[in-house]
Amino acid sequence: MVQASRISFRSGPQIDMLLLLCCVTIASFGLVNLYSATSVYIEAGKRSGLADIYVSQVYWIVVGGLLAILAAAIDYRHLERLAYVFYLGGLIALLLVLVLGPGIRGSTRWIQVGSFNFQPSEFIKILLIIVLSKYLHNDPRMEPRRWVDLTVPILLTAIPAALVMAQPDLGTAMIYVLTAVSIVAMLRIRGASLVWGFIFCATVVPVSWKWVLRDYQKARITSFLDPEHDVTGSGWHALQSRTAIGNGGLTGHGYMQGTQNQFGFLPDQFSDFPFAVFAEDWGLLGCTLLLGLYCLLCIWSIHIASQAKDRFGAALAIGVGAMIFWHVFFNMGMAMGLLPVVGITLPLFSYGGSSVLTSMVGLGLLMNVSMRR
Amino acid sequence: MSILVQRSDVGEFRRRYRWMVLGCLALFLMLFGRLVLLQVIQGDIHRGQARRNIVREVKLATRRGVIRDAEGRVLASNRPSYNVYVVPSQVDLERTWPRVVQLLGAEPAQAAVLKKRITDSASDERRKDQQVLLSVDVDRDVVAMLETHETELPGVEVVPVPVRSYPYGEVSAHLIGFMREVDGEDLTDLDSRGYRPGDRLGAVGIERRWESYLRGKRGTRKTIRAMRRMVHREELEGKYLDEPRLISPVPGRDISLTIDVELQQSVERAMRGQLAGAVVVVDVRTGRLLAATSKPTYDPGVLSGGRGTDATREAFRRLYADPLKPMLDKTISAAYPPGSTFKPFTALAALEEGVVDAATEADCRGGYEYGRRFFRCTGVHRRVRLHEALVQSCNTFFYAIGAHERMQIDRLAKVGLAFGLGNKTGIGTNPEARGRMPTRSWYARRYKGAFRGGFTLLAAIGQGAATVNVLQLGLAYAALANGGTLFQPQVVRSIETSDGTVVQEFPPRVKRIVSIDPGHLAMIKSGLHGVVTEREGTAHAETVAGADMAGKTGTAQVSHVTPRGVDPSKVWYFNRDHALFAGYAPSGTPEIAIAVLVEHGGGGGKNAVPIASRIVRDWLKMRDRQRSASAGARESDKSEEGS
Repeated sequence: MVQASRISFRSGPQIDMLLLLCCVTIASFGLVNLYSATSVYIEAGKRSGLADIYVSQVYWIVVGGLLAILAAAIDYRHLERLAYVFYLGGLIALLLVLVLGPGIRGSTRWIQVGSFNFQPSEFIKILLIIVLSKYLHNDPRMEPRRWVDLTVPILLTAIPAALVMAQPDLGTAMIYVLTAVSIVAMLRIRGASLVWGFIFCATVVPVSWKWVLRDYQKARITSFLDPEHDVTGSGWHALQSRTAIGNGGLTGHGYMQGTQNQFGFLPDQFSDFPFAVFAEDWGLLGCTLLLGLYCLLCIWSIHIASQAKDRFGAALAIGVGAMIFWHVFFNMGMAMGLLPVVGITLPLFSYGGSSVLTSMVGLGLLMNVSMRR
Repeated sequence: MSILVQRSDVGEFRRRYRWMVLGCLALFLMLFGRLVLLQVIQGDIHRGQARRNIVREVKLATRRGVIRDAEGRVLASNRPSYNVYVVPSQVDLERTWPRVVQLLGAEPAQAAVLKKRITDSASDERRKDQQVLLSVDVDRDVVAMLETHETELPGVEVVPVPVRSYPYGEVSAHLIGFMREVDGEDLTDLDSRGYRPGDRLGAVGIERRWESYLRGKRGTRKTIRAMRRMVHREELEGKYLDEPRLISPVPGRDISLTIDVELQQSVERAMRGQLAGAVVVVDVRTGRLLAATSKPTYDPGVLSGGRGTDATREAFRRLYADPLKPMLDKTISAAYPPGSTFKPFTALAALEEGVVDAATEADCRGGYEYGRRFFRCTGVHRRVRLHEALVQSCNTFFYAIGAHERMQIDRLAKVGLAFGLGNKTGIGTNPEARGRMPTRSWYARRYKGAFRGGFTLLAAIGQGAATVNVLQLGLAYAALANGGTLFQPQVVRSIETSDGTVVQEFPPRVKRIVSIDPGHLAMIKSGLHGVVTEREGTAHAETVAGADMAGKTGTAQVSHVTPRGVDPSKVWYFNRDHALFAGYAPSGTPEIAIAVLVEHGGGGGKNAVPIASRIVRDWLKMRDRQRSASAGARESDKSEEGS
């Protein structure tokens, strides 16, 4: 009896309480903060579409939670077999966006399915992680790799990245590339190849500036480099967000008291700048706690990877951790004026069904790997 | 077996984890560092910016000071001007428009133009909500009509705009001045003084020179920006607004002038027949300016924008095109040869120098031969002494003085300058033309060739290079009348707050006392009296009855050149001499001094004297009326005390 229970304890799925607690805490913070961000509209007496954001976010979290349980329950090794199927399906969805999607603010990111808008580029993040993990799993050579050896993962990343750039959505494409780089970074690569890679990047940046980036994307980057130059245009968001964060001070203004938010100086406070709302309400103390939670989540995912029993699981954990990390880094970086404004969400904090579902499914996969080590 | 292979595979990753953890920590630390920088180190800057975002400072309008005359009559004040606008997207062109046209009394052609503009704007998406100006400065009755029918006239708006108003219109316009809108240059210059685009400031005259007193100071009220969430306003204001929340506006200071509007109006009446000229009336005992007129004049109300910008622009265009230079304040901003009005000062110089006395005679045969030139006189006066020479304005006598070896040109200039001629008076209204008393050194600097004695002869009769402005002439005659006291001219008597408390009073100021031998002065005065009263006097024929005055006529020759931009067929006008008269009244115990200049008026006796004598007559009537009124008041006081 004792023996049996010990065996079941070691081999049976075990819920990773730290991961769960960390996610639940961040999601609760996110919901509470979103209420502050939308309170401006809720109490104005007119329940416009914006005021419903909070309620629908609760629905999305619930749906996301169910999906996460599903993602955690099914053994992740089954995913490996279906990886390419999923990936192809995702690419088709991306193509559909380009063909069918309605334009929103000069870019096409959505497909309307029934009554809700569906953003395939978000879900591709998970599919990309799965397919790259599968590639790593099936390529267990020991010697350092050259670029030629990495042709397949590069192509796997470049195709969706190019499709997303065509929407155009620079931020998401960047997340793809950075996540993929983080996964591939686990492999051993020849030193000479790294040097060549560096040189390649150094040439690609000016070329893409000239031919690939759209004017509004360039404007965001130039206004980031010189935010005071154009305070009413592209620099406005960044400047007001930075002011809001600074306005929070050490202890913050208190819940729903941040003036930058309450007086409507923060544009896109639900999707792009929820952190600015949070920082204004809770100050450095609250921000440090939040930052610590995200940091813990990222490091814990590396820990999970190190405990994984196969390469697929390890790569999956690293991939999800990297995805979370880069989202957090870019979103907070742009809110603080460290990085240019690219529409990247803060996982579990930002409003948006696709974003919430993607984060939740990713975390479910992380739990999956953690439970089956 | 397969499990073992997989385990060793994971080993390839193992060495990466530590680096990944380190990289992750490093980037999070960077974010944390940035947070500390923004929230703690630069916290105050951002808090200040956030505060400025939500606090709005509303500027509170002030009231420009009122300008009054010596008797408290308002010369310049403020009134609302009602402008009528139409919002193209809201107006009903079928039903409303005809009524609006009818109420505004617009002409059909003008109404058609406006209607087209409205229909054009209504079809333009960007302009359909922008007001179209229909009419400026609409009559109060029309405003009342428009407002009573407000509900039937959708899209028609009446907007009050404060404008400066000048109840007496053109009266003394150059002295009082007018307003203009600030331009970009002013805004950069005056930024620290709180001018903002759209403000008006004094452009010329008193309005300009006393701008800092008249203007007042704007107030500010701090408010919280409108917030989308309904929260108690007081609570928010208490939380976010720094004291003081309200700074009340300070109204501008009122200014009382020394001008008497009634006298001023009489001056304008007397000048009615003349095209261009200037009159100055000064109080002999104080140096205060009682009236000042420059012709042609302008309507300061229109120039200040009272009838809209189009009317202002049109008025300026016309004024600047006029060859009679209406914008020029001819009382002080232009200098003219004094002509014979300078002769009393030549006489005084000669008497002081001992060159002539009462018995000195000259034989006038129509001129004076000096060197190889013949200097002409106005007629043949035969044997004249100083008295007759002044009365009949005999040039020959004064040529003889100028030709005397002891009479240098500098001597004449010295006497002229002592009486304030050829020197700025410092009245402080408009820019002054200084005029000139030529001296030897002046000729040396300005004139090619050697100095010639003929210059002194011309200077002795007020011709040649000598020029004065009209105010200088009036003040110099005031000094002759009061026995040699030259006053600093005054036009502002006191400054008051808007509730009437006197802030500052300006007592008369003596500039200098010229020492004159009483005997000499008496001789001059009797000559000036004779000019008006004696049958041969140059002013006698044209002096109206009841004008007890003394003075000197003058006819200033004009250099025969065609001014630019003048129709050649009208050149004769610009070649006519200036007519002058300067004097004082009453002749016995002088109280006022007067200087009249009629530009291109011809002979002084014929043209300037009627004007001067009419002013003096009116002034005497006004004085007597005031005296009897005050005497009556004193009588009634006494009788009340008695009863």
